[in-house]
Amino acid sequence: MDIAPPRITETAAPPPQIEVAGLTKLYGDLPAVTDLSFVVRSGEVIGLVGPNGAGKTTTLRCLAGIIPPTRGAVRICGFDLARQPIEAKRRLAFFSDEPRLFDYLTVAQHLTFIARIYGVAGYQETGRQLLEELEIAGKADKLPIELSRGMKQKLAIACGLLHAPQVIFFDEPLTGLDPIGIRRMKDSILKRARAGAAILISSHLLHLLEEVCSHVLILKDGRKIIDGSLEEVRQRFSEQSGGGNLEDVFFRATGETKGEA
Amino acid sequence: MLGALLFYQYHSWCNRLLARLRRLRQPKYLVGAIVGGLYLYFCFFRGSAGSRAARPPPLPLAVPPDLNDLPQTLAALGFMVMVLLAWILPHSRAALAFSEAEVAFLFPAPVTRRTLINFKLLKSQAAIAFSSLLLTLIGRGWGGGHPLIRMFGWWAAFSVFNLHLLGSSFALTMLMDRGLSNWKRRAIFLGGAAAVAAAIFLWMRHSLPPFPSAPDQDGFKWIVDYIGQVFQSGPLPWLLAPFRLVIAPYFASGFVEFLKALAPVLAIIVLHYFWVVRSNVAFEEASVELSRKVAERMAAVRSGNWQAARQPKKAVRPPFTLRPPGPPWVALFWKNLISAGQYVTARVWLMLVWVAVFAGLLLQTQLRRGGGGLEVGVLFFIGMLLAMSLFSGPQMLRNDLRQDLPAADVLKMLPMPGWQVVLGEVLAPAAMLAAVQWLLILFAAIFFPRHFEKHLIPLAARLTVALAAALLLPLIDLIALLIPNAAALYFPAWYHLGKDAPRGFETMGQQLILTFGQLLILILALLLPAGVFTAVFLCLSFLGWPLLGVLLGALAAAVLLATEAALGLRLLGGVFTRFDLSAELL
Repeated sequence: MDIAPPRITETAAPPPQIEVAGLTKLYGDLPAVTDLSFVVRSGEVIGLVGPNGAGKTTTLRCLAGIIPPTRGAVRICGFDLARQPIEAKRRLAFFSDEPRLFDYLTVAQHLTFIARIYGVAGYQETGRQLLEELEIAGKADKLPIELSRGMKQKLAIACGLLHAPQVIFFDEPLTGLDPIGIRRMKDSILKRARAGAAILISSHLLHLLEEVCSHVLILKDGRKIIDGSLEEVRQRFSEQSGGGNLEDVFFRATGETKGEA
Repeated sequence: MLGALLFYQYHSWCNRLLARLRRLRQPKYLVGAIVGGLYLYFCFFRGSAGSRAARPPPLPLAVPPDLNDLPQTLAALGFMVMVLLAWILPHSRAALAFSEAEVAFLFPAPVTRRTLINFKLLKSQAAIAFSSLLLTLIGRGWGGGHPLIRMFGWWAAFSVFNLHLLGSSFALTMLMDRGLSNWKRRAIFLGGAAAVAAAIFLWMRHSLPPFPSAPDQDGFKWIVDYIGQVFQSGPLPWLLAPFRLVIAPYFASGFVEFLKALAPVLAIIVLHYFWVVRSNVAFEEASVELSRKVAERMAAVRSGNWQAARQPKKAVRPPFTLRPPGPPWVALFWKNLISAGQYVTARVWLMLVWVAVFAGLLLQTQLRRGGGGLEVGVLFFIGMLLAMSLFSGPQMLRNDLRQDLPAADVLKMLPMPGWQVVLGEVLAPAAMLAAVQWLLILFAAIFFPRHFEKHLIPLAARLTVALAAALLLPLIDLIALLIPNAAALYFPAWYHLGKDAPRGFETMGQQLILTFGQLLILILALLLPAGVFTAVFLCLSFLGWPLLGVLLGALAAAVLLATEAALGLRLLGGVFTRFDLSAELL
């Protein structure tokens, strides 16, 4: 299956789905994210990269409404996350690296629960398709404890995608997946992007980001170093010292050397 | 090699103690430590320290002088039952519980099996010593010997039982490996126990006078006399002899007698030790699995989620069909009912059936005898259960935010206003408590005496009071549940939400502060509704309509309680919306 990243057309820019302005998050006095601003438009897949402690997970958690930012504004599909949290949250899904499930609900009960929370009419059919797509259709009556880690991850993904979110945040989405799962995950990300979702992926797997992302945002010490389309970022850093792939760009942008890493 | 393991254990204890002492620099732990320390002092030490003279000495067990041996015999019987259960109950292979880190470091290391067992046994000595000390402090009135004698008595009994448990688990694993299934083994042991019990029963029927049909004037002395005869003659003393040996040090009246009693116990311990270390049973694989389960259980308990400490074993049927349209908070209610359903097992139903059968038989017997006091007794019992459900119920049923707060990140993402999240969370325990209370009210209405001190209590009066209680109690439950949920949101650190939540007596102090605080807030919340109820009732009683007074008073109080609950939900909803996980849990 073709998994080429979505191309940005030269025609009118799609509407922004994620708008971040001056996002700052302090843990006590310690700044985790400082004055971060960027926009993700419909159909774009943006890779959030940076060394450990750069503030990637904090950024994603702020954008998903899990933790409140100290300063700054976040708009999801035009809804202010602080002032209209319900409308904003209805349109987003967040996938953490560790699947967060309820121990006592079966796979099918998880989908029923999510369907009621998000008011998904006809969820049985959508849920069935998702479970089949993720190859866990035969596990509908199983509890999370009876599932492998990869299957739990798939169930979390099925729950997150059930309400067809327009904005999706992934924090290390491939953790725990087998090679087939990884391939399907990549396909799934690109499929949602083509359908118009705005996607933000945090990952240390730079080759994955290169395969699926149209844009990249590099963070270091909570501050944005650069963001733009993959081509733009590559061009900027190849102008400085030549060279090619996202890994090289990452090392140059963050001022690290491969030897140090 | 054992030296390295002891080094690890010693430094683990020291570092843990240091970490706890350092934590006292935070005011919340310091306050908790002071309250916990005062509680311990007043509960356990005050009576045994300086103010001993001010308090009467603890009474020995209340048995007649001629039956001074009875406690020892009963303790031996209890020990025998525990040993028997150790051979009947286990269903899995022998496993030594190590921490996950111990499994990761020790199992691949060049450590002999015997060293691992020795380490495990030494480690268990710490828990045994602590339990012995605690039981000595708690059980100051259990036997009149010196506290040191009682403490070492506990230690001896626990040590023997610990070794026996290990040895029996190894033996049972060997039987399993030789093809003896769990059910066959249980049938053999239960059959043996039943045969012995039948033999004793037959002996009793032939050798002892018949069981008295009615109590005499000396209260329960006739039962004590009869039990004394059973235990002091026939086969039982012989059967209990080895178990009496084990518990004899606890009951020693002086140090010389204690040392004499300890010698055979030490011999039993040595024999057990050789039995354990010479049992050639592989425990490693089962230990790895057990360690994983223990780690999960500890993480759940430390996060305040005692119920999740028991992993769900099978899926539970939903209590009702949940369809997508409708208020989303119902989904949380539905989810928490499923969660609570995990604990309503066949065993619970079986227990309820037993209680019902026992109560039915008792009732039938009393009615045949024309016993008039039964109704009052049952009513008192129901009242006690109602009070317990009101004050202890909200602490016991925790299928609410206290259970889900460790997954607060998931809840925070849900597109629901905060008050709906709180409502959905607290409804499940509130509904369960209300169901139990309604059942109790129904029983109370049935059993309420028709005549009380020569006054006729008409059916209308009983039904009115029952209706008023049925109206008020669910609302009181809701408020009573909102209080600990509020405490969990306001003081998450005291509710042990993090993965590495603290322990120790300072956290016990925090729990005490929380418990008293919750009780105080509940009383304050009930003051105004209670006042309004009383005023309405008195006014209408004065006018000659007491029953209408009860009903209208309850209605007015219910409106106030509902308003308080709604305000509480709004307040907590706001707190939940502003709840910053990054500051509390991450």
